[in-house]
Amino acid sequence: MSAVGLIARDEIRLMTRNRVAIIAFVLVVLLTLVAVASSWAHQRGIAELRARQAEAAETAFKAQPDRHPHRVVHYGTFIFRPLGPLAAFDPGVDAFTGNSMFLEGHRQNSANFGDVRQSSLLVRFGQLTPAFVLQVVAPLLLIFLGYGALARETERGTVRVLMLQGAGRGQIVRGKLLALGAAALLAGLPAMIGLAAISGQPGALAWPMLAIALGYAGYLALWTVLILLVSASVRRSRDALLALVAVWAVAVVLLPRVAPDLASAAVPLTNRLQTEVAVARDLRTMGDSHNPDDPHFAQFKRALLARYGVAKVEDLPINYKGAVGIEGERLTSAVHGRYATANHVAQARQNALVDAVGLLSPTIALRSLSMAAAGTDLAGHQRFLEQAEAYRYALVQRLNRMQMEDVSYADDGATDAGADRRKRVSARNWQAMPDFRFIAPDGRTLAAAALPGLAIVFAWLAGALILLMVASRRLGAR
Amino acid sequence: MGLFRYELRLLLRQRLTVGALALLALLTVAALAMGMAEVARQRAAIAAIPAAQAEDIGAVADYVDHTRDAGSAAYYSFHPTWDAPAPLAFATLGMRDVSPYILRVRALGLEAQIYDGDTFNPELALPGRFDFAFVLVFLAPLFVIALFHDLRSAEREAGRQRMLDALPNGGRALWRRRTLLRFLLTWGALGIPFGIAAIFAGVAVAPILIVLAVIAAYLLFWIALAALVGRLRWSSVANAAALAAAWLVLVLIVPTLCNVAINAAIPVNQGAEIAMAQREAVNGAWDVPREATMRRFYARHPEWADSAPLGPEFHYKWYLAFHENGDESVAPAVRAYRRGLEARDAAARALGWVLPSVGVQALLTRIAHTDLTAQLAYQDRIRAFHHRLRTFYYGYLFRDRPFGKTDFDRAPRFDDRDRG
Repeated sequence: MSAVGLIARDEIRLMTRNRVAIIAFVLVVLLTLVAVASSWAHQRGIAELRARQAEAAETAFKAQPDRHPHRVVHYGTFIFRPLGPLAAFDPGVDAFTGNSMFLEGHRQNSANFGDVRQSSLLVRFGQLTPAFVLQVVAPLLLIFLGYGALARETERGTVRVLMLQGAGRGQIVRGKLLALGAAALLAGLPAMIGLAAISGQPGALAWPMLAIALGYAGYLALWTVLILLVSASVRRSRDALLALVAVWAVAVVLLPRVAPDLASAAVPLTNRLQTEVAVARDLRTMGDSHNPDDPHFAQFKRALLARYGVAKVEDLPINYKGAVGIEGERLTSAVHGRYATANHVAQARQNALVDAVGLLSPTIALRSLSMAAAGTDLAGHQRFLEQAEAYRYALVQRLNRMQMEDVSYADDGATDAGADRRKRVSARNWQAMPDFRFIAPDGRTLAAAALPGLAIVFAWLAGALILLMVASRRLGAR
Repeated sequence: MGLFRYELRLLLRQRLTVGALALLALLTVAALAMGMAEVARQRAAIAAIPAAQAEDIGAVADYVDHTRDAGSAAYYSFHPTWDAPAPLAFATLGMRDVSPYILRVRALGLEAQIYDGDTFNPELALPGRFDFAFVLVFLAPLFVIALFHDLRSAEREAGRQRMLDALPNGGRALWRRRTLLRFLLTWGALGIPFGIAAIFAGVAVAPILIVLAVIAAYLLFWIALAALVGRLRWSSVANAAALAAAWLVLVLIVPTLCNVAINAAIPVNQGAEIAMAQREAVNGAWDVPREATMRRFYARHPEWADSAPLGPEFHYKWYLAFHENGDESVAPAVRAYRRGLEARDAAARALGWVLPSVGVQALLTRIAHTDLTAQLAYQDRIRAFHHRLRTFYYGYLFRDRPFGKTDFDRAPRFDDRDRG
């Protein structure tokens, strides 16, 4: 057996003799299994619940009686954000964003009923998911297993003994690396098996799963190298342990919390009240369909009358109220869309700031690559919001067109006893409305979104490897 | 006292100790500064409400003045409510980043409005805030571990323990002195910046003293744990590893496990179902005889029952009546939803009695009025205000009184001060 293999075997034997290490290892494996099982059950439960609620909402929409189309504009519809299979591995922001949305005319409502407002304060301590275990807990386990790997030998002077027996510095370090790497592999395995199990679900995508597997492998490899780097650079194992726990606390616990606070202070978001007031202001200047003296709608009316060659709206072959509804919705949606885009841009800038801090903390980089690949990051939520808005706009305009074409202007304004009946259109129309279907991004798009994070994690790994090579040259010199 | 001073000089010569204490104080100051900045932002947002609101309501008043119809006024007027941060909110922001602290409501169905959220970036909320509570609950124990894990074992490993035990005033008195000294320094690193910030923020004396006591108790818990591990006479390294593992379990793993357990054990009927049921009830009113709607409304509001009967044309009093009927129809579901949320919260609080990390977090958010209880209290204030709004507009609608420009100034105003 080569010297590297012998050293690795010896180190592993030492780890297995350490009862505390074995207990910790078993606990982490158990924790991963619990996380995989509970997270998977949670994801399936949520996916089923939302599918059921979405179906109930669709059924209710289609079961409407004959109604005036504008009633249906206000009746609106509820849609639910579906949860992809990879959310069982990393649910990302799912609990923090609302997952149901009420779509109606004239307004863009917020997504409501996120889990974070329906759970106890414990939810802010973190969520038990395979991603959480690998990001936060596994590095600490590796630190416990490996802090002494080289520092112990230095402290006791056994490095020189090893070298006297003909082992080179590089061989010693490679042997230790092999041993701790094997432990890291074993620690990450249960979560990866969970990931593989998820791949059996319909809709699971190969590329993003590969990105996730690569990302976490690189992350655990980075910690392995980092641990040996620190262990090689200090003289006492206690210093190695304290330094590593400090590095862990800063990179895994502190920076991921500080970065968002800095980002939200640097790029403030406009709150809903101010946005609504600004939207109302813009609409007043652009055109207010309720205002009979409004210049925009006066112009709109003239153009419409000219197009049909008639003198008054009563003579139009279409229902003027429906035409105004279409124009009004076009204007309000454009203004709402402008503010929604500004808000998305501001949030993207905040996230870019956090990602910049990710250069200092590979955990942040890993977290964003993991969420991006799972499609559970902010971009994933915004995809839902954009598709929801497109659907809402198409639905409302269809209803407005229905009012324009199928309800006569005379009936629409009438108040006699039978008018209510004449204003209504057939319930068959509601059944013909298309349902909302969230179009999930394809695997390549998700995997591409994970690339920046992957690059950062592997750049860290390369840097740490170079530093380890430098540090190992001085091994046993003191 | 002299011995204390010697111990202090000895302690201050250790680079690790001094560095750790300075870092802890620095993190505390940074967290307090960030918390105060956030609270100042929230206060500024609340202070900006009247100007924005005046512009908005002014435009509505101009429009409604054409018809002087109270129904249009009720339909188009959004009335602001807000939940000003309590003086101590800077120390622990709790749920204030994910729950709205400003919400505008109309006199229409409240259940379709009260669950709306404000704009926030979920990716920033995901890891939690960097506030004083975080420094205390998550980081302070790590500093306690760094300072206390080798309190005895370092002396033993250096071969000085027997000598120290044999000294006059040595042995137990010595360990007590050293423990007390380190405890006081850690407490000071956390408590002094907090105390200054709290006085600056105008927090009353009692909450400050409670928080200082909580800090001390939480530190003492971790010191006791370190002492317990120290009694096993392991090496310094083994002590540090065992304590760090205990930190991981008590601060990260058990709370997340319990979160899963609580959410599984106490199912909460989804709020989305309330919103859907309310919308069915409200919109269904267009398809039932209007007299049935009014009968149902008058049964609850006999004071308006003598209002003029409905004509064939649209009347807003019918519109607002079926909105209120819609709210009423989901009231049992709303109560059940709220009971579910409170049950989950109570379960987490109960856990706080055995898990200090959760207990401290729960206690701090309670004192700072940033927990679920405070959120629900805000919702109660919104409900009470909404009730006043309805009564106000009903007074015009059911008596067919015109609603002029000056009537906009008579609308009820939300008052945040009467918090329970």
